[in-house]
Amino acid sequence: MAQDARGEVYDLLAARGVSRRDFLKYCGSVAALLGLSEMYAPQIAAAVESGAKLKPVLWIAQGLCTGCTESMAQSRTPDVPTVVLDILSVNYWETVMASAGSDALKAITETVDKGGYILIVEGSIMNGANGNTLRVGGRPGREDVKEAAKNADAIIAVGSCAVDGGWVKAAPNPAGATGVSEYLASVGISKPIINLPTCPVNPEWIVAMIVDVLLVGKLPALDSKGRPTLIYGSTIHDNCPRRGHFENGEFVEKFGTVEEKKQFCLYKVGCKGPQTYTNCPYVRWNDRVSWCVESGSPCIGCGNFNWVDNDAPFLTRTSNVKLPGIGGVAPSTVGAVLGGAAAVALGVHAVVSGTQGRVGKGGPPETEKAYDRKKAAKGGDK
Amino acid sequence: MANVVIDPVTRIEGHLRVEVKVDNGVVTDAWASGGLYRGLETVLQGRAPADAFYVAQRICGVCPISHGHAATMAAEGALKIKIPNNARIIRNIIEGAEMLHSHVLWFYTLTALDYVDVVSALKANIADTYALAEKAGTSTADFGAIQSRIKGFVENGQLSIFTNNWFGHSAYKLPPELNLIAVAHYLEALSIQAEAAQIIAIMGGKFPHFMTSLPGGTAWYPTEEKLDGVLFHFNRVKEFVEKAMIPDTLAIAPFYLDATTYGKGVGNYLAWGVFEDKSMDPKKRYLPPGVISGSLTVADADPKKIKEYVEHSWYTQSETGLNPAQGKTHMAFTDYNLDKQYSWVKAPRYDEKPMEVGPLSRMLVAYLSGNEKVKAIIDGTLAKLGAAGKPEILMSLLGRVAARNLEALYVVGLMGDWIGELIAAVKEGDSSFFVESSETEGDGAGLWEAPRGALGHWMSVKGGKIANYQVVTPSTWDMSSRDAKGVRGPLEEALVGAPIADPEKPLEALRIVHSFDP
Repeated sequence: MAQDARGEVYDLLAARGVSRRDFLKYCGSVAALLGLSEMYAPQIAAAVESGAKLKPVLWIAQGLCTGCTESMAQSRTPDVPTVVLDILSVNYWETVMASAGSDALKAITETVDKGGYILIVEGSIMNGANGNTLRVGGRPGREDVKEAAKNADAIIAVGSCAVDGGWVKAAPNPAGATGVSEYLASVGISKPIINLPTCPVNPEWIVAMIVDVLLVGKLPALDSKGRPTLIYGSTIHDNCPRRGHFENGEFVEKFGTVEEKKQFCLYKVGCKGPQTYTNCPYVRWNDRVSWCVESGSPCIGCGNFNWVDNDAPFLTRTSNVKLPGIGGVAPSTVGAVLGGAAAVALGVHAVVSGTQGRVGKGGPPETEKAYDRKKAAKGGDK
Repeated sequence: MANVVIDPVTRIEGHLRVEVKVDNGVVTDAWASGGLYRGLETVLQGRAPADAFYVAQRICGVCPISHGHAATMAAEGALKIKIPNNARIIRNIIEGAEMLHSHVLWFYTLTALDYVDVVSALKANIADTYALAEKAGTSTADFGAIQSRIKGFVENGQLSIFTNNWFGHSAYKLPPELNLIAVAHYLEALSIQAEAAQIIAIMGGKFPHFMTSLPGGTAWYPTEEKLDGVLFHFNRVKEFVEKAMIPDTLAIAPFYLDATTYGKGVGNYLAWGVFEDKSMDPKKRYLPPGVISGSLTVADADPKKIKEYVEHSWYTQSETGLNPAQGKTHMAFTDYNLDKQYSWVKAPRYDEKPMEVGPLSRMLVAYLSGNEKVKAIIDGTLAKLGAAGKPEILMSLLGRVAARNLEALYVVGLMGDWIGELIAAVKEGDSSFFVESSETEGDGAGLWEAPRGALGHWMSVKGGKIANYQVVTPSTWDMSSRDAKGVRGPLEEALVGAPIADPEKPLEALRIVHSFDP
């Protein structure tokens, strides 16, 4: 019976110039993203093609910079035309839709009335001036989110702004920004929300979530903060290609130095990799051509909650990771850098930056990681 | 009759409402209302100067590079930093890649649907489409497959991003075959804008929002492999701009020549200039700074002549008429009232006049300043459209559209030169990419250009922290509300005089709004 529906969809795809081979290739890359073997590609294809109807999506823009839409437009596998023409029916997406004004807004109402859609929210919910810090269609913009949340099969908050207010909520939060979860709870809508923080969102994660919803028909495994564990389960530091330099005590102390050119660890110039949970080091960005640390910049922790307050100043070390070397790495390599006096100085610096150097309440320095503690107890790297 | 309202204006960055008064099929008055206030300038107070680079670029997800560079330049001005030559070239390449990304995205994804009727493309004869593409000198695609793809899509009944479209409107003028060519390039452009962004991702970690142009220089070191990647993606973008975007523009323009007769706007043009040359003298930028006001001559642009008014926007009313270096931003929402306050956008004025900013301003300033390459591009295009020797026809809706695409052509040429310059510098052993500063006090301004126009960031640093921060974005200039004297902003003025065939579907007004790339 599924065979009939599938045949219909194959015809549909063929009519659109999408070959079966292209489609399976795409499903294979989605499988890899979901942490599955490529053997699952046919099952994903079947799920996406489970009916002749495309899954409707409403992509609603709130207090945004449009960077998450832009980021979505950088998706290459599948590319955007495939997403909006062949996989989904994106009935509302301000930045790309043909329609305008009240005709555009009508698409929200029509889709909500029919139900069975995915809601994607980009940007902070704007509550300042009674919701008037964002006005859309002559009323507070947040009303569109409330309306669209009612009948949604799944809600995805894309990017740090939609997750928890992002930089817009940073102290002193002048325009009254908050995230989607908090807002919907405040208006009595209790629905699970998939949170995809980072600034902007990585498009591969959106595609993975959409396929997950289509494939298993329910939400993926989420942590206590609504983040899919597949994506946000380990730190950047854990998977960083420069991790070896950290272990060896090889650090960039300043920009413009030979250590920088040698691509040493950026921890001491402020890298927030140790406290930031995303899979950036291997999913990477812009169709996987690079990512922040590879380009030479420390991670600024944009995937963290309240990231601008908690992670700034960005070029200063604010976490408190157990540095290697204390437990007995050969003094000849790191001793000069990490001798007693230097280690104390670093500790003092972390305290100072936590109390004086920050705007807003700031986050506590990260406690020593269990991994490092165990290693130090064993005598460090020998 | 009641005013015609477009709210939300779609296919833009951010949130905009446009309201026009229409009498006898012509716009007689207009209001532009910015819908969003986030408070970035307030958020930056008290933070580290270098942090402005990371946070301020997040004003705009389409032009984060320009905001990042303006923030970094403001910090470098305040902390008295002169960046190494390699950093200058690298920033030019990143900035140029963003401009190409933005212009391609704007022409095909954001504004093309105002001129190109996707449904009409279904009627195209495939053989005639190939013949037309050859005649127009524009690149071909598998037009038959694309037509089938659209057909299947339309017949399925789920219109996705084309839901409730305005196709079939009497203001769509292109023949089906040209519509089909444009649809093919509309789809291809989505890949090309991503290629341009990949240049930035290689040099800046990712796009949007990049990581490497820190105050002091750059954190990016070129390697042979990375330069090879930059060159690879650049060549793809270059080919598309030269072989599709420019021929498409020239093929489409003759069907919309009426758009040279309206949409002019205030007729004052401001550019801060962009792309530094080796001297780092702003006047020698590849697109130079300047002001054109009322005549075809260029004057020096002086930031001291700016004042920002808030009589018609939702900010503390007593804090009006301030220069951005001393500017203040405190929200004070009242109500949406066209006679009082109606927008989150302030009203910046230069020498008390509203100023249009953007590619048209930059290209006119460069043209009238005697830039040889820009002169050749503009004069050549005017000749092809039968308007040789009449650059003033660029001061119109069609001119604003064409100027953006012609600027892309100019920048494609520059990018090739810069990539070569960087390779040569590295080969010659220049290994300086970053300098430090120990300054903790000072004032700086980053006067630069985003793809959509003149951009200014002002930063005061005291005790190593940001004491004041102000931004005047291109959209603040172009989407400006009325000023203290009630004078309309550039978009508002450009809408006046536009024909509106169907007040239910004000397509012509939408074209004018999009021509500013808000």
